[in-house]
Amino acid sequence: MTALRKEFQAKVAGSVRAGGEVSPAQTTNFGHLFHSTPRLLLEPRGADDVVAAIAFARAKGLTLSTRGAGHSQSHVGLSDGGILLSMVSMGRVLRVDPDALTVDVEAGLAWGDLLRHLEPLGLAPPVLTNNLNVTVGGTLSIAGIGVASFRHGTQGDQVVELDVATGSGELVTCGPDREPDLFWSVIAGLGQVGIITRARLRLRRVKPMTRTYYLLYDDARRFMEDARDAMNSGRWDHLESWASPSPQGTKPVNGRRQIFARWFFPFHPTVEFDPKAPPNDEALLAGLRPTEKLYVDDLPTYEFFARLLPVFDLWKRGGTWEHVHAWTESVLPWETTPDLLDAILPDLPPSILVGGHILLWPAKGTTSRSRLFMRPEGENLMGFGVLPAIPPQFWTEAKPMVEVVSRLSVAMGGKRYLSGYVEFTETEWRDHFGPMWEPFVQAKRQWDPDGILNPGFIPLDSRRPAAVPTA
Amino acid sequence: MRDPIPFGTPAWCAALREEVNASSEYRNAAAKWGVGFNGNLLLDFEADGGLSAPLHLFLALAGGRCDRAEFVAGRAHAETGFSLRAPFSLWREILERRTLAATAILTGKMKVEGDKLTLLKHAGANRALIHCVASVPTEFPSPR
Repeated sequence: MTALRKEFQAKVAGSVRAGGEVSPAQTTNFGHLFHSTPRLLLEPRGADDVVAAIAFARAKGLTLSTRGAGHSQSHVGLSDGGILLSMVSMGRVLRVDPDALTVDVEAGLAWGDLLRHLEPLGLAPPVLTNNLNVTVGGTLSIAGIGVASFRHGTQGDQVVELDVATGSGELVTCGPDREPDLFWSVIAGLGQVGIITRARLRLRRVKPMTRTYYLLYDDARRFMEDARDAMNSGRWDHLESWASPSPQGTKPVNGRRQIFARWFFPFHPTVEFDPKAPPNDEALLAGLRPTEKLYVDDLPTYEFFARLLPVFDLWKRGGTWEHVHAWTESVLPWETTPDLLDAILPDLPPSILVGGHILLWPAKGTTSRSRLFMRPEGENLMGFGVLPAIPPQFWTEAKPMVEVVSRLSVAMGGKRYLSGYVEFTETEWRDHFGPMWEPFVQAKRQWDPDGILNPGFIPLDSRRPAAVPTA
Repeated sequence: MRDPIPFGTPAWCAALREEVNASSEYRNAAAKWGVGFNGNLLLDFEADGGLSAPLHLFLALAGGRCDRAEFVAGRAHAETGFSLRAPFSLWREILERRTLAATAILTGKMKVEGDKLTLLKHAGANRALIHCVASVPTEFPSPR
């Protein structure tokens, strides 16, 4: 045992490992694009360990990074020579209050594990991500969006209270009305000012069953008109949609023949119901004009929440889970979304979506209060995600295309969602956060004065005046 | 294999026009380009990397066809809908597929005059045009 590891282990209850003992999976993340080895890895037992780790990192001049399920794709959840906290060791449900409709959880708890705990009580968080294997602390640090976000905003908007270990070593309880500046710098703050150790989350009562209507559109604009009407109707609990390719053969793109597709737009509005009062299909679908109504699916609601897990399992068994995931997710202005689809989809080879897909999530611009979850202005927005699984040997070839998708999204007024693959210049980071850049830098300075927390992604530097670029 | 044609000459313009009009890739990708708006392009090649004086290529484009291609005097042309301006060395990078035109536009390395949003939403048309330009066997000026 090295002296440093021994010294660190003496200060914490959780297990400490040296860099050489870290599993290969913990040296990369779901993106499989970046690899780095921490000097020390801690599996904290609780908030005291997190606070002790921060004090140790500061004393030794080390950086400290946090990792949940490692589902991000940029330089997030990784540490290059610093201390990495593997937060999944803090995965307990602490307390459910069925009267107040809240639950207290540790930050490393996976949403799926929380649901298993809540199912007997008929409760659930209002917003769930599609992948339930990600952690509470992880998604709150990004924002956390799902198919109910059009009604309830982000997962961050459903937080009542947090315990946060700040970069200055304090454990602070904060919420929308208590230390709100810290709270809103932590929600969607990518662990830049503090580490979430406990979250009190809002819950809602769940109806036992869901009915999902599998509607198919052959025209993006008509799909969007119906999606907007569905959002405004108040009839639906969940809205999910996609851009789905039907390969048509090959055509020349830059002189090389490539598979091209006719794109369709599946739209899946879902309503929760009690079996004693089944939904009135005709009333629910009134006014919607799909090309075809394909299927109606009744599922127990908790199975609906987990509906994509079999897809993820298939990707894992098929090997594409280990491919490069340079996911490009953005929140787009409603008005420019069709133009962006026109620009991107015709030349997008459908083969890169084997083990992936294209998401289109209609959303409301008014449902989130989050300060750092950046989104365009407007009443209606569209979440757009090109989520490819690229064989590693094709990454060099695919990278320029992925970058064009990202830049086109931004050029058309979109804001990138930061769990995906993002390689911004400092200017692009400033543009991304816009008026929130300076407050974010100030928050970093105030709560992480040594600049130790989660380096390598957003170029926030605690010691540098906000207006001065790094280079 | 066709003999290279000196860049900046009427013969090169004629070859480009022929290339565009023979390209099913361009015809399909640009079917809506210039329909309902002025899709004529002025490509400005700024002097550098072997190009001793700037060149200005005017292309009359609509509905997947090129009706005119000619080098013109000066950066102003009355019939232009969009102008794209970049150093000659950047154009070479694009034509040799070392840089994507869309990336050059989106990063601001290539300057655009005209409605950028229209240009971007027809990314496929412009990509196909670049491919046509790149397909003309060309004798470029040598770097000094």
